[in-house]
Amino acid sequence: MAKCTSINFAWDIATKCLSDNTFQKEQHIDRLTRFKPAVEYLLEQGLEILVTEWFMETFQQDLQSRIAPNFWSTFKIDDTSSSTICLDCLAHGINILHSSIVPYANSLSLLASVLPNGGRSLEERFDVLVKALLFYRTPMHFSEVVKTVYSSVFKAFSDGDDKKERIRTSDDSEMDMDESTDIEKDDGDDDEGGDTEHISAPSNSDTLTAFHQINAQLYSLGLLERVCGEPVTSIIHQKIKHHVDQQCAGEFEKSFILSLESWLDNKVMGWLHLVFFGKNAERPQSPVMSQSLQQWKERLQYYLYQTLAELRIQELFNIIVEFPESMSALNDLKSCLEKTDLRTKLVQSLRSAFENRLLHPGVNTTDILTQYISSIRALRVLDPSGIVLELVCEPIRKYLRTREDTVRCIVSSLTDDSSNELADELVKAQPVNVEEGAATGTEEANPFDWQPDPIDADPSQTSKSRRTSDIISTLVNIYGSRELFVNEYRNLLADRILSSFSYDTARELRNLELLKLRFGETQLHQCEVMLKDVADSKRCNTHVLSEKEKKRKEEEKKKEEEEKKKEAGEEEEEGGAAKGGGNVEDGGKEEEKDGEQAEDAIDGGEDKENEEVITPSPTHPSPEGVPSSEEMDFNTMILSAQFWPNLKEEKLEVPQEIKQWMETYTKSYEVLKGMRTLNWKTNLGQVTLDIELRDRTVTLTVSPIQATIIMHFQERERWTIQELSEKMQVPGGAVRRKIAYWQSQGLLKEESHDTFVLVEEKQGSTQNQEMVMIDSDEEAESATASVEDQKEENLQMYWSFITGMLMNLESLPLERIHSMLKMFAIQGPSTTEFTENELRHLLETKVREQQLVYSAGTYRLPQQR
Amino acid sequence: MASQNLDPALAAAAARRKDKSCDSPNKKDGHSVSTRLQKELMSLMMKCSGKGISAFPEDDNIFKWIGTIEGPAESVYESLKYKLSLEFPSRYPHVAPTVKFVTPIFHPNVDNDGNICLDILKEKWSALYDVGSLLMSLQILLGEPNNDSPLNVQAAELWTNQAAYKKTVLEKYHKATSK
Repeated sequence: MAKCTSINFAWDIATKCLSDNTFQKEQHIDRLTRFKPAVEYLLEQGLEILVTEWFMETFQQDLQSRIAPNFWSTFKIDDTSSSTICLDCLAHGINILHSSIVPYANSLSLLASVLPNGGRSLEERFDVLVKALLFYRTPMHFSEVVKTVYSSVFKAFSDGDDKKERIRTSDDSEMDMDESTDIEKDDGDDDEGGDTEHISAPSNSDTLTAFHQINAQLYSLGLLERVCGEPVTSIIHQKIKHHVDQQCAGEFEKSFILSLESWLDNKVMGWLHLVFFGKNAERPQSPVMSQSLQQWKERLQYYLYQTLAELRIQELFNIIVEFPESMSALNDLKSCLEKTDLRTKLVQSLRSAFENRLLHPGVNTTDILTQYISSIRALRVLDPSGIVLELVCEPIRKYLRTREDTVRCIVSSLTDDSSNELADELVKAQPVNVEEGAATGTEEANPFDWQPDPIDADPSQTSKSRRTSDIISTLVNIYGSRELFVNEYRNLLADRILSSFSYDTARELRNLELLKLRFGETQLHQCEVMLKDVADSKRCNTHVLSEKEKKRKEEEKKKEEEEKKKEAGEEEEEGGAAKGGGNVEDGGKEEEKDGEQAEDAIDGGEDKENEEVITPSPTHPSPEGVPSSEEMDFNTMILSAQFWPNLKEEKLEVPQEIKQWMETYTKSYEVLKGMRTLNWKTNLGQVTLDIELRDRTVTLTVSPIQATIIMHFQERERWTIQELSEKMQVPGGAVRRKIAYWQSQGLLKEESHDTFVLVEEKQGSTQNQEMVMIDSDEEAESATASVEDQKEENLQMYWSFITGMLMNLESLPLERIHSMLKMFAIQGPSTTEFTENELRHLLETKVREQQLVYSAGTYRLPQQR
Repeated sequence: MASQNLDPALAAAAARRKDKSCDSPNKKDGHSVSTRLQKELMSLMMKCSGKGISAFPEDDNIFKWIGTIEGPAESVYESLKYKLSLEFPSRYPHVAPTVKFVTPIFHPNVDNDGNICLDILKEKWSALYDVGSLLMSLQILLGEPNNDSPLNVQAAELWTNQAAYKKTVLEKYHKATSK
């Protein structure tokens, strides 16, 4: 019975002590002295389980029925509440929670202190119970509230930091003052403060105090990570994103990784420390805690890289545009890519950026090429293996293939003087690796340096072919054929030679040598011949001229001594001009006359043996329309027909005097070369004219056709287009276009429809108003056949194939013709696809022209032609 | 076109019984051969239209062509069109192609199966020849047969009598083409 009473008594004491909510620390010792023997007694009686279970049960009931509802009831506020309300509310709630749970926790530690095993399992159960019962039904807006509070505090924190930085830079004394006032305002709780929050405004300081209290209370309840982990993470993520966007967007010339990392280290981690360890690390840094913080930091770093990488990927198109100034941004992106797995995203995003911004008809081919070249360079930096480049640029290559002027653009920028990137590339001089021949390349330097291709590589291609960093090779590989480029270069060279008409080929020779290093000697043989033609022409000219000179001198000697003084070259000009002037006096009417001292008129010709084409130059008609060849400085370009691209065939009947000159020249040439003759291309060349009018003299350099027109006005003042067209054997439309040039010069005017007269005297400014603008296309005309001509030529070729096919195979359906053409006629990659539809169109035309018969789904040639 | 300078006398001297010299097509170096054939086709298409000769791959196989020759003007074969088959060995152009008349032809140097007796198809073949020159040679052969070593003795004998010869030619031709 005594036992029983003593058990009852001990139980009473124990339960009373455990459930004493008003329990104060001061009474602890006192309580312990009473409590300890009682519990020990109970334990002795083997009632340990009863005691602990009773305690847990009581706690659980209280938690469920009172503490949790009380706690949650403090959060009955709107989501829209301001951060201060949220803070108050959270602080209040947590305070309530804290004060209701702390007694239990104290009791627990009391109980645990007497339990034999130190009550570890009991403490764990207690923690679990708190978490489980408290959070099993979290109200929706609780996390909102927490988030609002933490983000506002974080803002205050970083604002304070910023402010601090500002103040630091400004005035030390002011800061000291600030600090001191702050310290006074703090109610002694954290007198050793002096940390960031002190600088912030008093209200912020209150906020921070409340905030620290919340954190401390949560920590002591073991709920800190549970409550704030998620909101803090999301706040930091937002903050990182915001910070990265603000700092880095659009700024490509600086590397941000380091500054961002230190920002993360100092600001963000500092705040995390503040949250988890309280200010000044007042809470002990348990290993578990710092480990989780370390993990947190790693996650945040990853997120930082990811954010930066995403930003850069978004901006990659612009980064490429600004390359190489944007090198730092690229390096940032590169190191980010190493740490994250955004390659696929990068490829997709850049591809779509290209497709949206670059590959549409509104963009010039040159711009596409420039961007392509920059992409090659930039992406090589990003990914030396070239995989990304390959994946991303595939659409560009595909698109470029469909543009007709791609090759021309590439070639012209290759050889353009204005020191652009491609020309620089050319100087690097490596042989062009066309893909098919890639296997023959030299081995990589060191086999130990070998790196496997990234997983997104196309296994069907050798890694070597991708790794070549040579841009010209890459460009040439758009078509996979050197021939196309060499041909284009040939056209370009021809154009350049024929339009500049200088005999100075030093630059072209240099380019050619550089190109030879890349494309090989044989490919460029024709171009070499072309340049040699130029040199030969020069020699030939000198020769012919000196012959003539000799003759003339002899004649002159015979004539008068005075005349002797007139000699070649420069004197010719004078002579011409003088005579022209004389003419004015004599005839009055004829004032206009051009004393042209032509520098170069081109006419080309193919000689009988098919070996040479000539382009002659300058005409120098004498005043009265009487040709006096001596007065002309007449130069020619003699071209070897076989080696030059097809030149435009245009008929032009040059004035009689020029014609005579050409004949003389041809004769001299025939004497010189024997067995060869010249075939003049009268439509090509340059003429420099001195036109003497009643009131002025005009010197102009024009095309032969223009010169011819104006020369005709020497004879008559008035011509109709038709007359000129007949005389020159040039279509009326072309004549009109060329006349427009003279109209714009104010030399001719349209008197009535299709009739033009010479304007001898400028009559004030009214004349000018009638000026006709010449379209600039006219001037930019190229000497070689255009793309359209080539297309026409292609069609011609296809037609030859079709007739050949049908002659031998009798009759074929459309599909067969198309596939045969594709197989046999379209050799190598062509700039222009010939689709089945185009073929059908061609065939239908031929059927209409009765050159084909279509029956029963097949085409055949008509029976007998 | 150096290969056009075919000397009929040479052809006569070299006439021999035909023997099949066609190697079985060996894919080994097919690439360069087909490239060459491709080029020949191109030049044939571009240059030889209007000369009464033509040829084109019969199918997707570029080693097998069908050719057409128009009889030379002012010969008994004038305005007649003869079809030929050309088969290129894998060692072409170092080995001559096998050429046969597909359209039956009455000619001293062509037998009833269309086999042709022509020196440049045999020992006088050179890699410098190409399809164009070959067809042109055959075209010339139509007008100027080599009667000294005939495959078709009847034709060789009849040659002197052009009227009768022409009649036979036409008969055979029309019989063949009207089928």
